Amino acid sequence: MRLEYVATTAAQGFWRNPVMSLASTFTVGLMLLLFAFFLATDRGLQAAVGVLESKVELALFLEDDARVSDVLDLRARIEADPAVSRVDYVTKEQAMARLVDIASKRPDIQIVDTSTNPLQASLEVKLAHAQDAPRVTAALREEVGKGVVSDVVDNPQVVDKLLTITRVLSFGGLAVLAMMLIVALFVIVNTIRIAVHARRDEIEIMKLVGATDWFVRWPFILEGMLVGALGAVAATVVVLIAAGPVMGAMVNFIEILPLSFGATFVWQLVGSVFALALAVGGGGAMLSVRAHLAK
Amino acid sequence: MVALLGRGIQLITLDDVSKRYPNGTDALRDVDLEIDSGDFVFLVGSSGAGKSSLIRLLIREELPSSGRVWVDGQDVVRMKHSAVPKLRRRVGVVFQDFKLLPRKTVAENVGFALLVTGHSGEEAREETERALALVGLSQRRGHFPDQLSGGEKQRTAIARALVSRPKILIADEPTGNLDPVTSWEIIKLLVRVNELGTTLVMATHNAEIVNALRRRVVHLDHGMVVRDEREGQYAA
Repeated sequence: MRLEYVATTAAQGFWRNPVMSLASTFTVGLMLLLFAFFLATDRGLQAAVGVLESKVELALFLEDDARVSDVLDLRARIEADPAVSRVDYVTKEQAMARLVDIASKRPDIQIVDTSTNPLQASLEVKLAHAQDAPRVTAALREEVGKGVVSDVVDNPQVVDKLLTITRVLSFGGLAVLAMMLIVALFVIVNTIRIAVHARRDEIEIMKLVGATDWFVRWPFILEGMLVGALGAVAATVVVLIAAGPVMGAMVNFIEILPLSFGATFVWQLVGSVFALALAVGGGGAMLSVRAHLAK
Repeated sequence: MVALLGRGIQLITLDDVSKRYPNGTDALRDVDLEIDSGDFVFLVGSSGAGKSSLIRLLIREELPSSGRVWVDGQDVVRMKHSAVPKLRRRVGVVFQDFKLLPRKTVAENVGFALLVTGHSGEEAREETERALALVGLSQRRGHFPDQLSGGEKQRTAIARALVSRPKILIADEPTGNLDPVTSWEIIKLLVRVNELGTTLVMATHNAEIVNALRRRVVHLDHGMVVRDEREGQYAA
């Protein structure tokens, strides 16, 4: 009966003021939609950064007359750096073999003469984390001109850009999310305040006959959670409908990146959306009722 | 014998209680008062004499500025906030304006007091029927407050106050909105409730009733107890 009382009172509260309830449901839904979009984008970018990071390479082109022992010595020194995950030694012959291989797959490249090998031997350095690329590159550039390394080639722009995008999106997303959260809280607090006001006589009598504060609060907290949950359902439906097309557009836009979300991620996303919804709904309601009971 | 044992135990004690409101008004000044189990006490005095302030202290709607208040063996001033609901379940209160919920029937208004204090629906139904029978409203259980007379409204409020079987019933001007005949009906009901063992504290302006019943009268004036008589009159 306790539960029944709390549940029916909460439902009554919701429908007694449908305009306000639906307005706050809409606001919460919108906030959750942003949250879901933010989570998905973040996840996609993380994956993209991961993929690019695994491809981050520095190439140290070696002088043709460098001594093999010097090269191996240099390789050992580079490998000692904790930021470096692997160093591969590519000989002139291996470089040529690669070129031939690439050319065989590309009709626009033709190798006319293989009698000479103009390609340089190289050390290919794979980094554990893209952030370390500038430091490692700078350190290796100092090797140029000492008889072993002729040139250091890196391709940091892509990773740098992606990291910047990730950072901007993270901070921007978080800022927008925080603002939406505040708006959603504000709307819920006000919705529940109206519900509390509508029931103020009932609350007065409840307190008079010895109902505990929690017994007074629960119906309102549940009502707030109901608003949150309905917002979450709306947001989830929109996400599920929009996910396909949006993802398609994003994959086209970022091209090669493998943006696919498994079932686990979808469940995590839905779970997070509902958790946030219930927390914001229940929390907002709690703030509102506490303020009233403290009077 | 049991009834005799029940009487004479101090149920309410005010020890040197003063209440000053933030605006500087002294609502109560150095009040000492003892009310025994089974007593029927009229609180009389002009408006603003401190009757309502005293009642609010008993149900801990307010705290005294100084002094101590005990109700049913509990230190009301020092009790934790979380203990207040339990105190209020032992002290029923009725008001001049009834405080009924307009969208609930008579039975729902009465049962509400039990449902919101964690009782089962079954318990609430049983106790509601008992309380409604006591106040003579069993036939009106399905009516809404706006379908009731003033006396019936007050009887509903009394049933609600009694449904949790409190030791004390406090009535703050219960006949203030009622005509003389209906007032007498309510008073008779309250006397009956008192005879069944509930301690009664009633604030009133109704001299006729006070004089006719000849019960204990505590007269408050400017926040002080100026008269406390066993079989008192409205005016000295």
